[in-house]
Amino acid sequence: MAEPLVRLSGVVKRYGETVAVERIDLDIGAGEFVVLLGPSGSGKTTVLSMIGGFTAPSEGRIFIGGEDVTDLPPARRPKATVFQDYALFPHMSVRNNVGFGLAMRKVAKAERDARADAMLKLVGLDGFGDRGIHQLSGGQRQRVALARAIAVEPKVLLLDEPLGALDLALRRQMQEELVHIQKRLGTTFVHVTHDQEEAMSIADRIVVMRAGRIEDVGAPARVYLQPATLFTATFMGESNILPGEVVEATSSVAWVKTAIATLAVPAQAAIGTRVNLSIRPEQLVIGRAAEGTEDLGTGRVSETSFQGTHLRARVAMQAGGGELLLRAPATLDLAVRGTIQLSVRPVDVVLLKG
Amino acid sequence: MRPRHVLIAVYVAAAAVFIFLPVVMLVLYSFQDGLVPVPPFRGFSLRWYEKVFANRKLLEAMGNSVVVGGLSSAVAASLGFLAAYGLARSRPRRADAIQYALMAPITVSYLIIGMGLLITFNGAGIDRSLVAVGIGHVVINLPLCFAIAYSQLGEHQANVERAAQDLGASDLQALLLITVPMLWPTILAAFFIAFTLSWDEFVIAFLLSKFDVTLPVVIWNMLHAGLSPELNAAGTLVFTTSIALVILVELLLARGNRRG
Repeated sequence: MAEPLVRLSGVVKRYGETVAVERIDLDIGAGEFVVLLGPSGSGKTTVLSMIGGFTAPSEGRIFIGGEDVTDLPPARRPKATVFQDYALFPHMSVRNNVGFGLAMRKVAKAERDARADAMLKLVGLDGFGDRGIHQLSGGQRQRVALARAIAVEPKVLLLDEPLGALDLALRRQMQEELVHIQKRLGTTFVHVTHDQEEAMSIADRIVVMRAGRIEDVGAPARVYLQPATLFTATFMGESNILPGEVVEATSSVAWVKTAIATLAVPAQAAIGTRVNLSIRPEQLVIGRAAEGTEDLGTGRVSETSFQGTHLRARVAMQAGGGELLLRAPATLDLAVRGTIQLSVRPVDVVLLKG
Repeated sequence: MRPRHVLIAVYVAAAAVFIFLPVVMLVLYSFQDGLVPVPPFRGFSLRWYEKVFANRKLLEAMGNSVVVGGLSSAVAASLGFLAAYGLARSRPRRADAIQYALMAPITVSYLIIGMGLLITFNGAGIDRSLVAVGIGHVVINLPLCFAIAYSQLGEHQANVERAAQDLGASDLQALLLITVPMLWPTILAAFFIAFTLSWDEFVIAFLLSKFDVTLPVVIWNMLHAGLSPELNAAGTLVFTTSIALVILVELLLARGNRRG
């Protein structure tokens, strides 16, 4: 990465004895769509609030565009925020809401209105300028909040769970639109959410947070398929976690003995290390081990549920008494109490240390 | 109707009669076509209203009440709002203690407040006057105005102010362009509630006024001369004004809630 647009350097936030954010270093590049992902209490909103200037860090510095903004008030930072509850101005028209930031920058009324209307068009609210805020639906308010924030042409746009209040269909639609608008404007977006599917569908890069720390940073596919930690593996969606011990190792392959089977995994680990193996349910292969796959033995299907896009099944493995979660094609006729053979490609098995 | 419901209806009716009968009597006998406002009702007449509007003393007192009520309520509503805003936004360590201290005067009787002010003004060499009455009314209405404004300054409003600052507004701009207009119905409602209370407040107005007096004090003085339908008419005007203001307040608060 060249010069980062946003840089958090050793940032800590304490509230008395409680540590909300524990020494975070993070660089965000210009034009990047970064999602801070984590459960509640992970510190993701605090991080966003510190970039926005609404929360002062206890330690560390924050830079935007190379400038140290740690001590600047929110009004003087080159960013804008889309708030979780939208925080629109209820006594102003839609157009005046969107034009507010420009008014604060002393832009003349005519130009301000023209730019506000252009922003409304961009977010799909062409012709809504004269309406009052209370005449809008939740989704429309969301768009006004977005238009109001991008109208000031911020270097970085901060989004605090902006889609949390929308229903699923609208959420999906807004996710797509957010990505389109972001690519079109080229503005850096920093988006906070606890929804890992939302994170994967919109992010260039996901920052997984837990208990005030960064657990993992990377592109959605990497974070999902090759999670760096046990927490990331389980938080990014369902996963089979098999605890085990490294019984043999070369410089590129580790043999891990688990209750179900001993698997050769392409990873570096010292013999005797206790590790966890993570296998995504959709990466289990039904059938005897073929060329390039590792055998997991046989198991009995204990439960199936039809999920539309796939069939979700629990399989009680014969060896070790463990249970594996399986995602099979929706069309597969999988009998409960039937016995099946499972295997997995070694590249799909992720070795997690510690 | 089930017996339970009959009982409830009877109870509600009895309570309504108990509360409203005196007011109904007052209003009814203001239209009395006779010299005394007591049964029987002798017929409908507007002559007592004519007499009220010809009574210079009453009209002057009514004017005084409007001025004292208007100014004291404006001061109480402004100070109450600013106190609430300051407390809600700066979040001092013992915000709850400050809140209780500001609202404590609500529990003190008007008589005690009036006596206290009388003694204080005497000690300070300030004569009894309408200004003194107005100050007294600020004292009794400020806690109420504070409480009304404070109840409307929640986390959502704070977020809206944050949004304004986020877009480049200074603290003062956020206050004047966002918070005050956003809470305008609430501030107006506080003003009118204060005005209603000032409008028919008697004890403080009686203790702290001298030559110029407010409407309730004039009515009290006139009561010394005995009952007259003219007093009923004056009382009806006071009551009608209060009711109109209360309805206005309800409308304002409903509007404020719809916006919120």
